[in-house]
Amino acid sequence: MVQKCQIAGGKAVFFGILLMTVVFFAANAGAEEQQAEEEAVASGKPEVKSDVDPYEGFNRAMFEFNDYLDDYVAKPISDAYLWAAPSFLKTGVTNFFSNLKDISVILNDHMQGKFEQGAEDTGRLLANSSLGLLGFVDVATDLGLKKHEEDFGQTLAVWGVPQGSYLVLPILGPTTARGLPGGVVDAAANPSFYVGMPVQLVSMLNTRANAEGALKFINEAAIDPYVFTREAYLQNQQHLISDGKISATVNVLPLEDEIFDDEDAGKTTKPNSAGKSVQPAANNGSSTLNKSLDSAVTALDQASVSLQETDQKLEKLKKARSRKARKSK
Amino acid sequence: MLRKIYFIFVLLLCLTVSSVSFADEQSARQVVEEFQNELLAVMKDGKALGFKGRYDKLDGAVRKSHDLPKIARIVVGKQWEELSADQQVRLEKAISQLSISAYAHNFKDFSGETFTFISEEETGRGGVVMHTNLHIPGEKDVKFDYMMKKKDDGWRIINIIADGVSDLALKRSEYTSVLSRDGFDALIAKITEKIDNYAAQ
Repeated sequence: MVQKCQIAGGKAVFFGILLMTVVFFAANAGAEEQQAEEEAVASGKPEVKSDVDPYEGFNRAMFEFNDYLDDYVAKPISDAYLWAAPSFLKTGVTNFFSNLKDISVILNDHMQGKFEQGAEDTGRLLANSSLGLLGFVDVATDLGLKKHEEDFGQTLAVWGVPQGSYLVLPILGPTTARGLPGGVVDAAANPSFYVGMPVQLVSMLNTRANAEGALKFINEAAIDPYVFTREAYLQNQQHLISDGKISATVNVLPLEDEIFDDEDAGKTTKPNSAGKSVQPAANNGSSTLNKSLDSAVTALDQASVSLQETDQKLEKLKKARSRKARKSK
Repeated sequence: MLRKIYFIFVLLLCLTVSSVSFADEQSARQVVEEFQNELLAVMKDGKALGFKGRYDKLDGAVRKSHDLPKIARIVVGKQWEELSADQQVRLEKAISQLSISAYAHNFKDFSGETFTFISEEETGRGGVVMHTNLHIPGEKDVKFDYMMKKKDDGWRIINIIADGVSDLALKRSEYTSVLSRDGFDALIAKITEKIDNYAAQ
């Protein structure tokens, strides 16, 4: 009982800290951006800082901390697990946690209006929880029900919440100001969150073990692992949000402009592409505000046009009536 | 009868015209598919070839289908103009070696992979994006989108976007960051280290 209370207490503290960080970052975002801009103007240097990553100093420190923790704690355990555990067990554990996650996937399917996909994922959950022996066997995929990746961060994006700043959290890793509350909601929708520490530790071990390939790839390919992780994370998020539909074009177009600009002119360099992230998702706050203002203005325009039209119609009707009245007289 | 002859004549004419225009130059799709086929061929022979063998085979294939000089220019962004001619040459050489090494390292063996063409999309300014799928048996498909641009002698790959992650955008963020933090020599040293690592495994 005492243990349970402790866990519950720990959870409350964890939630509290998360919420406080969200509020802190949200409140600071505007002020710091402005400050950075002012500094850049004052020093006369072009801004090297990326728009998406105003807390790069803090984030890099967290990244290093996580890296250190991984080298000395997570990786050794994960390596041992990967080496010792038979592959059917590893697959089973992965399937088990993936099945639990499907609950939050289903919720988010519906919140994003993807009802067909929601039905498919509900089918997955039912099939895997029953035939699949509590999720240890992924029978649904064999039945032709595809696994989808949805989370509350994506739902918020679909609802129009801007991405906000990039953040690296201790232990949990990369996220954004939008992904952070998203993660809290998803955690709350996952049964493994309520079962207790041992299950959560196994879940973390499973996540780390499955990330082995990706981490190895980053290690081999990245000349600046921090920047590599950030860009890959943000681009992949964008890919997931759009369900892979538009991201190719979205990611390509800003670069394409640069390719052609560099060819067309060569001499005139555009200041807007300097040092900034190529991610279009970087357009946060102000541009969404601008967009919504724009659409509000056009809506008003349309409304006034249709008002004028109805006015004209009414006048015509009046005239027709008075003519009729005269005729009948 | 005359009509039939006329019809056949027109048909023949069409055929020759189209074959001439195809013979001249490969379409963007052909460039991508030829490269993917060469990549698969190297993967099938991967173990026997070893890293050096794969590198040598891919060297020609990558240089032929990718616009490596352009890639080298874009990955350092505006700072390209500030590099000396000698530095530009060194950077281009390093980037070329790195790209080929990465292919030789990451596509080292064959387990039934196939590439399928999905669609072709024109971008605003005369570029083309080829959407393809890499199917790996027992794993989730990976979307490979190739961004292409036409050079004087045909279409070239400038960027590869795997599952929405753009290789060029990634490199560009990294390289400009290293360049402004640590300078040019550090950038070349880091690239060389990566090439050596790839070769060592």
